[in-house]
Amino acid sequence: MNHPADLKYSSDHEWVKVEGTTARIGISDFAQDNLGDIVWVDLPAQGLHVEANGAFSEVESTKSVSEIFAPVSGTIVEVNDQLQDAPELLNRDPYGTGWICVVEMSDPTELDSLLDAAAYESLIGDE
Amino acid sequence: MVPFGGWDMPLNYAAGTLAEHRACRTAAVVFDVSHLGTVRVEGALALERLQAVLTNDLDKVEPGRCQYTHLLDETGSVVDDIIVWWRTPELFDVMPNASNTDGVVAALGVSNEKLQVNDVTATRAILAVQGPNARAMSSAVIPEAASIGRFRVAEFEFDGTTCVVAGTGYTGEDGFEIAVPAERASDLWRAITSVGIEPAGLGARDTLRLEAALPLHGHELGEGITPLNAGLEWVVSWTKPGFRGRDALAAQKAAGVDPVLVGLLIDGKRPPRAGMAVLRGGERVGTVSSGNFSPMLSQGIALAFVHPDVAVGDCIQCEARGSLLEGTVVHTPFVAKH
Repeated sequence: MNHPADLKYSSDHEWVKVEGTTARIGISDFAQDNLGDIVWVDLPAQGLHVEANGAFSEVESTKSVSEIFAPVSGTIVEVNDQLQDAPELLNRDPYGTGWICVVEMSDPTELDSLLDAAAYESLIGDE
Repeated sequence: MVPFGGWDMPLNYAAGTLAEHRACRTAAVVFDVSHLGTVRVEGALALERLQAVLTNDLDKVEPGRCQYTHLLDETGSVVDDIIVWWRTPELFDVMPNASNTDGVVAALGVSNEKLQVNDVTATRAILAVQGPNARAMSSAVIPEAASIGRFRVAEFEFDGTTCVVAGTGYTGEDGFEIAVPAERASDLWRAITSVGIEPAGLGARDTLRLEAALPLHGHELGEGITPLNAGLEWVVSWTKPGFRGRDALAAQKAAGVDPVLVGLLIDGKRPPRAGMAVLRGGERVGTVSSGNFSPMLSQGIALAFVHPDVAVGDCIQCEARGSLLEGTVVHTPFVAKH
């Protein structure tokens, strides 16, 4: 499984890519593999305020419904509308075209509590 | 792998549920369905006992044929849905669902010199080969099995081992199911997959049966649900002398059947799920019993128990954790059967 070193990860299996004051968010390769074929993403609305560790979206696979948790607090400034018609992008390209949203961070120090790739891989190694 | 009725079952193989599903609709796949039970019923009184216990009428068929049937309790609830393989005049393989095998053995009663009832599930594996190309692709390795007729059952030789094949399945596609002695199951699996038939797991089995609108015990059949609720009156013989649950079923038929099972087609991709409320004009009319994403239609589909005045063409909504999924009541199956 692939967990790029330039990303940060939450213990709930989201990834974060820091882009200045914003954070691009998606789900990890481990998460998409465990969910199985994703058939629906309940996209959050642009402008929505999210709290770190709060659920803000749901993804559904052929086998289950799973919540997506915000790794950082802030306001959603961009949403990947492509996922509406092509939810399979989360499986096919979780770190690229399968991104879910971009958050304008209200407290960038929260990034410090996220995991680097090595720590994340050791976490999922235990699951 | 997931636990399922006491068995460890693969939810999907490497290709994933959607690819396995599409392979079954367009080519052929093989499922390991050894979790189905096999209760062997033999003897001079076997036919008479099965006729008294099961809802369908075995006199409509003959040895060498299969029949779909139900086992009810005294209230008319479906204890299990079953395929009977009538192999020879006094030999039947009765195939219940994984978790219901003990209940079916109990219902068939104690053995005596004219009736032997034995759970032989552990002695064999069952492989289901399904799809429009199932016969053509497998004929290179198991030609006799590949030519079995629809709902027929026969023995054949696989590499020196006697197996049983039936022209049955649970996908809405053509195909067949093979009972193979457990110790030869891997050899048969390898032979079937060697000709390019891809393995498929429990996930695809569920989405395939849902598109075909085939009932799943615990969802469309079970406690508090009769064959009439599930729209399966054709499984019930009113003309044979009797069967367990007949009186309750006749009373329900006279009083009017409520609820009834219908198919729902959702406007978008979001899957409705079991347990969701079904609304019509803002008023609750029923509950989803099974729902998922239809890989062939690329839309959400569901089976739901609803008030009997709900009709095909009605606009409905499924209540999904705060949002409403818009949809329509449609004829089933969702995808044409073959």
